[in-house]
Amino acid sequence: MTEINVSTLTPPADPYPAPNAGNVVDAPVSFTRKVLRLTFERIGAQLGLFWIVLIMVLAVFAPLLANSHPLAMKSNGQWSSPLARALTPTDVTLLIASFAALVLWRLKRIRLATRVWTFIGIIIVAAVVSCVTVKPPLVQVYDTYRNGLVSGEISKAIFVPIHYSPDDHQRDVEDARLKPPTLAHPMGTTADSADLASNMIYATRIAISIGFVATSVAIVMGVIMGGLMGYLGGWVDLIGMRLVEICESIPTLVLLLAFVSMFQNHPDQALYIMMVVIGALSSFSYAEFVRAEFLSLRDRDFVHAAQAGGLPLWSILFKHMLPNGMSPVIVNASFGVAGAILIETTLSFLGIGLQNESSWGSLLEQALGAGGNVFWWLAVYPGLAIFLTVLAYNLIGEALRDALDPRLNKMA
Amino acid sequence: MLTYILRRLLLMIPTLLGMTALVFCVMAMSPGGIGGAALAAAGGNVRGAEAARIRAYYEKRYHINSPLIVQYGRWLNEISPIGWREDDDGNFTTFGFKSPSLGESMERHRPVGDLIAESLPITLLLNFITIPIIYAIGVWTGIRAARHRGGAFDSIFGFTQLAAWSMPTIWLGVMLITFLASNQYLHWFPAAGLNEMTASQMKFLPFFDPAHHWHRGWVLDVCWHIMLPVACLSFGASAFLTKLVRGSVLENLGADYARTARAKGVAENVVLYRHVFRNSLIALITVAAAILPSLLAGSVIIETIFSIPGMGQLGVEGARFQDREVILAVTLIGGIITLVSMLLRDIFYVLADPRVSYD
Repeated sequence: MTEINVSTLTPPADPYPAPNAGNVVDAPVSFTRKVLRLTFERIGAQLGLFWIVLIMVLAVFAPLLANSHPLAMKSNGQWSSPLARALTPTDVTLLIASFAALVLWRLKRIRLATRVWTFIGIIIVAAVVSCVTVKPPLVQVYDTYRNGLVSGEISKAIFVPIHYSPDDHQRDVEDARLKPPTLAHPMGTTADSADLASNMIYATRIAISIGFVATSVAIVMGVIMGGLMGYLGGWVDLIGMRLVEICESIPTLVLLLAFVSMFQNHPDQALYIMMVVIGALSSFSYAEFVRAEFLSLRDRDFVHAAQAGGLPLWSILFKHMLPNGMSPVIVNASFGVAGAILIETTLSFLGIGLQNESSWGSLLEQALGAGGNVFWWLAVYPGLAIFLTVLAYNLIGEALRDALDPRLNKMA
Repeated sequence: MLTYILRRLLLMIPTLLGMTALVFCVMAMSPGGIGGAALAAAGGNVRGAEAARIRAYYEKRYHINSPLIVQYGRWLNEISPIGWREDDDGNFTTFGFKSPSLGESMERHRPVGDLIAESLPITLLLNFITIPIIYAIGVWTGIRAARHRGGAFDSIFGFTQLAAWSMPTIWLGVMLITFLASNQYLHWFPAAGLNEMTASQMKFLPFFDPAHHWHRGWVLDVCWHIMLPVACLSFGASAFLTKLVRGSVLENLGADYARTARAKGVAENVVLYRHVFRNSLIALITVAAAILPSLLAGSVIIETIFSIPGMGQLGVEGARFQDREVILAVTLIGGIITLVSMLLRDIFYVLADPRVSYD
């Protein structure tokens, strides 16, 4: 029996040959690189990317941008840094991860896959280590610094740009509730006397994490479900399609009403539960795309070759078929991130979402106060943040779709 | 065609069964269980024997201690027109035709059927006013953008449509209330509700009284109240539709039949409205089935922001109190509306395009 060397099987021809493919001089440009170049040629996609990078920077450096703890202070003749001591494991992990990302980005010599796996490894190690070692004080008393400065106990203090933590309710200040923007509070204060700008900066973490994690969950679940449905067919397909039909036959927001008690009874884990629930509910639309792609790929020669080579199912599905059927998933992922952020902010706005942390949605909700009072700063800033983030992801999604659409490519 | 419709209607039943079973399981498996909040609220304030009695009452009324499948079976029995009748202790007596009921709300202590009957017409009113507006705006701007492709109108529109589509409904609603309906800024519109307090004494139509005072009347009052909610609901969807119309009309304007018509000397307007627009209808119909469910989701938000007592608000309140019967009813009705709109879409296909046939 002759053995087929599977590693020599080549993927189907590149549908986008490089403009001067005949020239030996030019190094071949990878498909990914080409799509990325086409996508970010557009000014809209560039602006969208800029905004997303900006809010990512805000999310990572939040404790260094808005904090009630002074960066450094001199009390009793001794310098100390209360801010460094008050950092949470999340803050530390994010800082380490962003530093690692920057370093790995510069190491262009190493393969991309190696770098990505190293990055994931670093995040996991950093998270575990910081959870064990970093122990911020359980009770934060923020007014000690302000009182200390007034009484002279603290002789010198250097603060970060915004002098208030998101949960600093300014117990020492009389009537700080719902004040319009001033120099001290550049975006005003919220209904519980906290600084709005500080809350907005910390809320970027929620928006970014829910967008990414929910969409990742959706893609992983959708690809596995859709791949199996399209490849195996038969009763797997039948049951799967009924499930898809059930979940598509009702708007996600209405269906989510049934899941609300999960968030309400576990306010501490609400964010994580929400990520999984939103991801699971939106995975069905990915499953539909992937199923359709796999149905058409099932009878292609390279799939038959992989089958004849006796490859295991996962290898056929995810190493051979998936790379050829990924483009609709990638396009929809960008819109999916926007959708997940919209759903989270909407639920929080309606008061059936996150309770312990302030998200852009729950901040926006405070704009309509009791007795018909309205507070314009709470209406404008959080809403604008939601809008710009959703718009940024949609702009990138549109550009990606046009870049991946072969029909448009030919016309250009 | 009739058999097709009948088959589709019958196929809805398993989908709806699956959907309600899913909702039921989720609510039962969630911590606190079905009606957990109601029990906690009732049990939190009272001690010992009192709490036990309330618990026993809930158990008798909603059977929350029975196995899940039994509870779901009981709920199905309750909503179906054919089934067992129950006596006061929840024992089954006779089998036969009965009046279907959606149970009783745990929070409001009223039959859910009544609550739905009050709120569903309001939601439908909002949506049925919104849909023609969306289509009017979408078709008008879409055709205009396609006709003057690359012109000023088209470029401005291309830039703004994605922005309009990305506009979060919650932000639009809050901004409209803040700047157009609050007494701190422009107080042009009412901020909440569907009519004034005095609506019940109003005459139906606007009129002048003998002293030449103008009275709004009930109809104009309602129109005035739903102006902002409808604007909110139609904003994103009409941007979406405009883009669709533009793309579809452009595609058809370049088609061979349009060129043939022009070559025959047919006026451009006739080509556009009699030839091209008719062929673009199919894309419009496809999207109609997607617009109605998204409007339903939108009215969940809009009704809460504008305090309109519709089905969306009912659902949000039910979710807050984990009111099982209300959530089941709202999801069931939402599902029926979505499925029916999908069926209507497929029927309209045949009407718009004689090439399509289901027989």
